[in-house]
Amino acid sequence: MLPQRMKKVITDNPKKLANLIDLVNLPSTLREFMGQSQTSRLGCFKRVWSYIKENNLQDPSNKNLVNCDEKLKSILLGKPQVELTELPTLIKLHFPKQPR
Amino acid sequence: MGKLPPSLRSANFAVNTLIKTPSSVPHQNIPSPTSKPHYYPKKSQSPKKKAPSNTEPQLPSIVSFDSTTLSDAKTLFNSLISNTRNLPSDNKFYNAILQSFSSNSTLQDSILFLNHMIKVHPPFSPDRFTYHVLLIQSCKSADLSLSPVHQVLNLMTSNGIPPNKVSTDIAVRTLCSSDREEQAIELVKELSSKDSPPDTYTYNFIVRHLCKNRPLSTMNSFIKEMREGFDIKPDLVTYTIMIDNVCNSKNLREATRLLGVLSEEGYKPDCYVYNTIMKGYCMLSQGGEVLSVYKKMQEEGVKPDLVTYNTLIYGLSKSGRVKDAKKFLNVMMEEGHIPDAVTYTSLMNGMCREGDPLGAVALLEKMEARGCAPNSCTYNTLLHGLCKARLLDKGMKLYDVMKQNGMKLETGSYGTFLRALCRQGRVAEAYEVFDYAIESKSLTDVAAYTTLESTLKWLKKAREQGLVI
Repeated sequence: MLPQRMKKVITDNPKKLANLIDLVNLPSTLREFMGQSQTSRLGCFKRVWSYIKENNLQDPSNKNLVNCDEKLKSILLGKPQVELTELPTLIKLHFPKQPR
Repeated sequence: MGKLPPSLRSANFAVNTLIKTPSSVPHQNIPSPTSKPHYYPKKSQSPKKKAPSNTEPQLPSIVSFDSTTLSDAKTLFNSLISNTRNLPSDNKFYNAILQSFSSNSTLQDSILFLNHMIKVHPPFSPDRFTYHVLLIQSCKSADLSLSPVHQVLNLMTSNGIPPNKVSTDIAVRTLCSSDREEQAIELVKELSSKDSPPDTYTYNFIVRHLCKNRPLSTMNSFIKEMREGFDIKPDLVTYTIMIDNVCNSKNLREATRLLGVLSEEGYKPDCYVYNTIMKGYCMLSQGGEVLSVYKKMQEEGVKPDLVTYNTLIYGLSKSGRVKDAKKFLNVMMEEGHIPDAVTYTSLMNGMCREGDPLGAVALLEKMEARGCAPNSCTYNTLLHGLCKARLLDKGMKLYDVMKQNGMKLETGSYGTFLRALCRQGRVAEAYEVFDYAIESKSLTDVAAYTTLESTLKWLKKAREQGLVI
């Protein structure tokens, strides 16, 4: 099941996969948050999500919302509160399409 | 010590295992990846009991080939011989040493090392297995011609151990597993012309391997050449493999032709052939046709087995004839077959397709009451069905059970589950499922994330259009 799907992802759109897992030089704001100078979009997403969980930043009354602390605000457009739904989109902003 | 290549790890044959657990030694067989243990003479259980604990502390440091150079290996062997009392008289010990060395050296070095071993320690006389170690290595060598293989085979002949069917089989299997099917075919033809034709196991192995990895024409020409050149004909097993293969590639015409050939050759289709045909119809999404195959089986007096019934139920379920499928569940039990997880899961799949996931859950309880344990596929099927039918709460309960049992999610049910959660605005829970999928290694990070991302994208769009809250 799984390899087939992977194959499908790859054959369908190799570029899409590449921009998900290729290591990218990070902008300075993100570099500070991640503590490393290079990461992939996927790695960044996982790091941010685990940061939210570690620091209990999910709104207690509505778990779908994240109350950003200062550190998180710095990388998520300075928003005080973000929805989990838009998290991938917000992170994608740091990974612009590379002009070939 | 040098690492064993993965293909040999299963053979459980390395010096370190010899040393660590002397008691397990008698069970270690032959350094070959072949799956035909019945070929090998059973070794007596006693001789290795002598690899005793008093030598144990010394051995591990000695028998480890950190360096791949021949001279280092020779020195190592010399010190092993001179420093160890009670050297095992069993060949297995020396074969293991040779194998360990050969796993990261060149064939020429291995041959020289073997000669050295014989010279330094005359009680050791190489046997067939010793040469098979070299044979395996020669089949894996970087040299893409057959000359290393010939070298070993000639070596065997000149040392009074002419290659036999086992040698052929080992060589063929090793060649095939290193993607050198063409050379395997070449070798088989050559050996056939030298009066040591492959046995049916080797022959069918090649056919099966060619089916999987080469175009159909390669296999057909192999069969033709073997038939015309050496009078080696495909048997019923071969035909089953061929039919299975063409069914997998949805080539119904070829399958029908093969069936004709099969009966022309005087073979009567057995249960396995019919099962394969049934499976073929399922693959072709003509699950309904399985009934006609079943009828044919009954006409021909072939007794169906568990696989037949499972395929039958699967095919009927898939084509939406759940009622018939349920009927066969009873028939098979009357015939004395005990339905297994596959049977029930197929049936549940059919019920979920029909939009009756609650009935499927009831069947789950029934099957557990009958003492049949569901597997992860069963749970995935049910989860998928419940989510599709928008019975998310029940799905959630099922998911908790899966989590408790550490079951893996499948791609399909994972996606459906995520979408169902998001549809109800339970995004945080969707994230939690995403975590579980990665943690339980159900999916790769990439696959899990891509699904999550696209589901969230879909949710955003649906919200904009006012379809979901």
